[in-house]
Amino acid sequence: MTDITLTINGEPKTTSVPPETTLLKLLREDFNFTGAKVGCDVGDCGACTVLVDGLAVNACLMLAGQVEGKGVLTIEGLSTLEEYHPIQKAFEDVASLQCGFCGPGMIMSTKALIDQGQDLTRQEIKDALSGNLCRCTGYTKIIEGVIDAYEEITGKKVPANKSRVA
Amino acid sequence: MKPFDFIQPLSTKEAISALAQYSPEVRILGGGTDYLVELKHVTQSPGVIIDISRLKELKGIGLVDAGLRIGAGVTHTELMENALIKEYVPVMIEAAHTVGAVQTRNLGTLGGNLVTCVPSMDSGPTLLALDAEVTVLKEKGSRRSNLIDFFVAPRKTSLNPDELLYEIIIPRENLGKPASFIKFGLRKGQALALVNAASALRIENGKFKDVRIALGAVAPVVMRAIKAEEHLEGYPVSDNLILEAARIAVEEAKPIDDFRASKEYRNDLIEVGTRRTLQAALAAANQER
Repeated sequence: MTDITLTINGEPKTTSVPPETTLLKLLREDFNFTGAKVGCDVGDCGACTVLVDGLAVNACLMLAGQVEGKGVLTIEGLSTLEEYHPIQKAFEDVASLQCGFCGPGMIMSTKALIDQGQDLTRQEIKDALSGNLCRCTGYTKIIEGVIDAYEEITGKKVPANKSRVA
Repeated sequence: MKPFDFIQPLSTKEAISALAQYSPEVRILGGGTDYLVELKHVTQSPGVIIDISRLKELKGIGLVDAGLRIGAGVTHTELMENALIKEYVPVMIEAAHTVGAVQTRNLGTLGGNLVTCVPSMDSGPTLLALDAEVTVLKEKGSRRSNLIDFFVAPRKTSLNPDELLYEIIIPRENLGKPASFIKFGLRKGQALALVNAASALRIENGKFKDVRIALGAVAPVVMRAIKAEEHLEGYPVSDNLILEAARIAVEEAKPIDDFRASKEYRNDLIEVGTRRTLQAALAAANQER
């Protein structure tokens, strides 16, 4: 067994799990944070994206032992029961998501991107989300949601895209 | 995943003695973006897994006597954000940017990319074009080798079971050398290379000098197109020679047919990739003068 102490969404947690437990399994099955989804489980789809010490990672590709002492942020850490996080609000307003399965991953990748504090272009946003697959809406509305959230949170503007293609 | 024993050493010294102790029933875990995928599919336990993802000695990018030293555990994201890389080998940023997507680059390491040794690795061509060397540690001492000799066969390097890849060195004389990298994939993010290519060269007295052309995903391991290099080396700079060298590179490579691309298509990409990277390296060299 591997002993693990970490923080999840700011709260200290301690547990002991078999070494072959992934971070994703730890979050979902040991702590009941089921926002991060089991999609491909091999690092292709991004549905399990969470932030570890501020960096977006695929939770399916880390062993629980590797997050010892680290801070993990999941989608559950963004909102309260009363209020959405501005990224979630923007995704809702634009209707970015259809089935929603990719949503937590998309939103966590967006969170990591905006937290970096850089000026963003549409191309950079697409690049930052290229590890998150959506099979419903075709990304246009998701990119719009990210742009709205970025502009809302930072007060900056994403340069207008001349082409009509997203 | 099959159960295994998990060790988290506090130093490379500890890691190497654990390697020697448990070899051959032992595997190294770095960023895990390749190995954990493999681990989910294997039917036998690997025995012991040694997690090196926290080892500070494998981190860090800095100038040493031999050149620019990059720790094997440096992630692709760390490479892309590093000031020394930006100054001395900016072509490595282009190559790192084509690895997977953000999530992969945040975990995956340069050393891991090399050790995995798949023909389509994105870090290989650029490093070969810069004559990179690697340092390998074992319990009694270390050894330095050229990166090209490190690659043996698909998923097989010259590492012995008790050895650990420690660092990658870009030789001092190649810091700032004009270079270019291109990757052809089916999409921009999360795609394996159909073909990738890197070129580096200098211009001296109007002639090509120290020409390097390296290709990925076109042979069992990342390779240099030596004949194409020789076609340019020492000859007066000309666009036409570059076109010819690109065609020669096609003859040197041995791409395969698979579900991602046909051999014929890959051959076309080799020519285009070689040509474009040579042209871009030449343009950078001209700008430098």
